[in-house]
Amino acid sequence: MDERAIYEKVKASVVDALGVDEEEVKPNSALFDDLGAESLDLLDIVFRLEKEFGIKIPRGGVQASAMSAEGENLKDEDLVVDGVLTPLGIKKLKQSMPEVDPARITDGFRADDIPTLFTVQTFVSIVKKLMEEKGKA
Amino acid sequence: MGIGIDIVEVQRIQQLAEEHDAFLTRVYTESEIRYCSTKKNRHQHFAARFAAKESVLKALGVGWARDVRWTDIEVVNDALGRPRINTYGEVKRLMEEKNIKVILVSLSHTASYAIASAQLVKKG
Repeated sequence: MDERAIYEKVKASVVDALGVDEEEVKPNSALFDDLGAESLDLLDIVFRLEKEFGIKIPRGGVQASAMSAEGENLKDEDLVVDGVLTPLGIKKLKQSMPEVDPARITDGFRADDIPTLFTVQTFVSIVKKLMEEKGKA
Repeated sequence: MGIGIDIVEVQRIQQLAEEHDAFLTRVYTESEIRYCSTKKNRHQHFAARFAAKESVLKALGVGWARDVRWTDIEVVNDALGRPRINTYGEVKRLMEEKNIKVILVSLSHTASYAIASAQLVKKG
């Protein structure tokens, strides 16, 4: 499935979960700030995507996929200390979420707040990655 | 020391439970499902437990980080009916790493909203 097709299905799931108009949803729409999502809405979107694509998105997997870099053996404490991203954590997060305006990820950014960065494109990327992994399996 | 608080809409939990078959089993332990299912207003109890799990995660400062499962945090009631937190897996490991002895929790719910607060108590 190509990215465009994934995007259309992700968009439909976001529209259904949040009850927003289709025209409001763009790839770079931030789910919290632009579309008014709450944390439970993310769970709703996750369940809809799992059903739609036949994949499993683990709770920590959304962030893990955002923060893990292939070929590197980083420990949690290299990236997050007392809930706050380290300078390396900030760098990795910016790299792994290119769809997010880097100006939003500032010093002292909390790991808790990563979901507030999620855009529609974030879910497209996660689904694409999981679909590719599923294809390999 | 750490505290966390969370509020959820009962109706939202009910909707998720009704629309997604996997919701209850992904989020709640068998014992939690058993307990809540016996209640007349079961979605209020499910909602309060969801708020409890979120408040514990906030107190621990993990958010969506790490490979944490909802079922790693379980709300049980002691002999006096007071809620207690059991932890498993990654959350249990995290408690040991942070030297936390116990997590205190308080729950409350109405027909519309459920709220929970959690407090971490360190060893020693």
